[in-house]
Amino acid sequence: MNNAQQHDAQHRSGIETIVLGGRITAQTVAPIWRSALETLSRNPNRPIRVDATTLEHVDSTGLALLFDLQHRQRSPGAEVQIENLAPNLAGLVESWDPADFVQTYRRPASIGIAEQVGRVTAALAADFKEMMAFLGECTAAVLHAVRHRRVVRWGEAIAVATEAGANALPIVLLIGFLMGVIIAFQTALVAREFGAVIFVVNGVGVAMLRELGPLMTAIVFAGRTGAAFAAQIGTQKVNEEVNAIVTFGLDPVRFLVLPRLLAAAIVVPLLVVFANVVGIFGGAMVMLGFDVSFIQYYNQLLTAVGPADLIVGLLKAFVFGVVIAAIGCRRGLSTGAGAAAVGRAATSTVVTSIVWIVVLDGLFAVLISRLNL
Amino acid sequence: MTTERAPAISVRNLSIGYGKRVLLEKASFDVHRGEILVILGGSGSGKSSMMKNLIGLYKPLAGDALIDGQSIVTARGETRAQLQRKLGVMYQSGALFGSLTTLENVRFPLDEFTDMGMAEKNLTARMLLRQVEMGHAEAFMPAELSGGMLKRAGIARAMALGADILMLDEPSAGLDPITAANLDRTILSLRENLGFTFVVVTHELTSIFTIADRAVMLDPRSRSIIADGKPAELRDHSDDPRVRQFFNREPDAITTKVET
Repeated sequence: MNNAQQHDAQHRSGIETIVLGGRITAQTVAPIWRSALETLSRNPNRPIRVDATTLEHVDSTGLALLFDLQHRQRSPGAEVQIENLAPNLAGLVESWDPADFVQTYRRPASIGIAEQVGRVTAALAADFKEMMAFLGECTAAVLHAVRHRRVVRWGEAIAVATEAGANALPIVLLIGFLMGVIIAFQTALVAREFGAVIFVVNGVGVAMLRELGPLMTAIVFAGRTGAAFAAQIGTQKVNEEVNAIVTFGLDPVRFLVLPRLLAAAIVVPLLVVFANVVGIFGGAMVMLGFDVSFIQYYNQLLTAVGPADLIVGLLKAFVFGVVIAAIGCRRGLSTGAGAAAVGRAATSTVVTSIVWIVVLDGLFAVLISRLNL
Repeated sequence: MTTERAPAISVRNLSIGYGKRVLLEKASFDVHRGEILVILGGSGSGKSSMMKNLIGLYKPLAGDALIDGQSIVTARGETRAQLQRKLGVMYQSGALFGSLTTLENVRFPLDEFTDMGMAEKNLTARMLLRQVEMGHAEAFMPAELSGGMLKRAGIARAMALGADILMLDEPSAGLDPITAANLDRTILSLRENLGFTFVVVTHELTSIFTIADRAVMLDPRSRSIIADGKPAELRDHSDDPRVRQFFNREPDAITTKVET
């Protein structure tokens, strides 16, 4: 492609000369530019001639090279003279004003640790406040929906419930089953030492119904559905769909959030029931290996757990579901601009949800022990 | 350089569409070197789809598209990447990378494909941005730019690698009249002075009459090219009433009958 790359500096009539020839494009410009700059710095106090007689073609990078040579700061009497440049290229190079390039942009100076801590704290406080306000809005929307059932977009709620519930069933079943297997096996190994293998059934039953069923399902739900809520609503925010909803005089909370809250409130307890059943079944499978038959397991289970255990678990599941959905929707609605912001909204949904799940689970533990449930 | 080169782009019996929905059947036209060709047609006539087929993003239903005499439809791997690098593309929304500043976006192809020094790359990128009047916005993130600014930065990025052929998807839609006119001037100047070939998808009539050497008009109903020629001639002398209607910006005749 390049037949004439005579870009070496040459001595001709005592004046240092840079010859630019052939085609100068992005692919070929780098060495030409480098050697030209070397020639310039080797001769700081002598005038330089740039001979462009044989220059056939330049692209943007070639133009930048010409511009750079022409406008580089040189000491007086050592200017760069470009000769025999095709008039159209010369005109093009002239079309940029060097004064335009003087001002260079600087990124804002980095802030100190104290200020960073302050900012993060302020952001967390503001976030907490917003979250509370949002929960209030959600409650208002739910109460409104209770009184005016037609304002709820049931079609959307059912679609969300299908996606978040039915389609999440395989993963919830898998996790629930494995949870049952793991706790049964771990505790049975210890219980065998004391000849108390049969009481492992109590442990599995209570742990699955009260704690692990709701907890693991909630974590799966946060990762799978909470993040999806944030990403969906975040994308709608980025695409100005949320603005369109607002300018129609509609409330985005009622329009986007309410169906998801309702779907989550229904679907998470249902998923927990499935997780409980397969978890307990997983425990039974393990207990066969410890000489506890299905019948023994069943009878022991009936003495160990009652309706209260199930109800406590389902109550937790309901609260977890609503909180996760609210966090996902909230993060979605506060998404900034751009694809990265959507990703951040999804990530922060999962992190915040898991923190809240654990905190709420702790609160539940205190509350339940006080109430002797 | 040889004097007799293949057309910049040669479209041969190209059928495009999505699955069973055919947008265009057996379209053929050439884009000559140094030409500014405008692809036009109403909304939904397949202009942008045509462009994406020429770039090799979509696979045509049938037919072939040649870049510099080489098929982009059948090319694979590195050959295909090399062909695509001959094309500078500006997408309808600008398609800037959201994680990079405007300047870094324009510098991106130089970072990837050249071994130029940082100062040189920055100078080139800044000159390109000034060419599209975006110098003031070089430090902004794409999320902070308006639609028109995104487009202009997109054009600067498309030009960065010195591709011979620039493909612009609706460059002047959404720009204010002054900026749009400046952009037209920039396009003409680039062709004149740097010998770029342009394929421009647009339906801005003013822009078409200012820049286009030739216009190819797609028609969604007949799924074919219904006009190919100089815009002014098509406006004044086309046999096809739809073409004249388009160029003269006339509304459809009011009919009470439902069209079949």
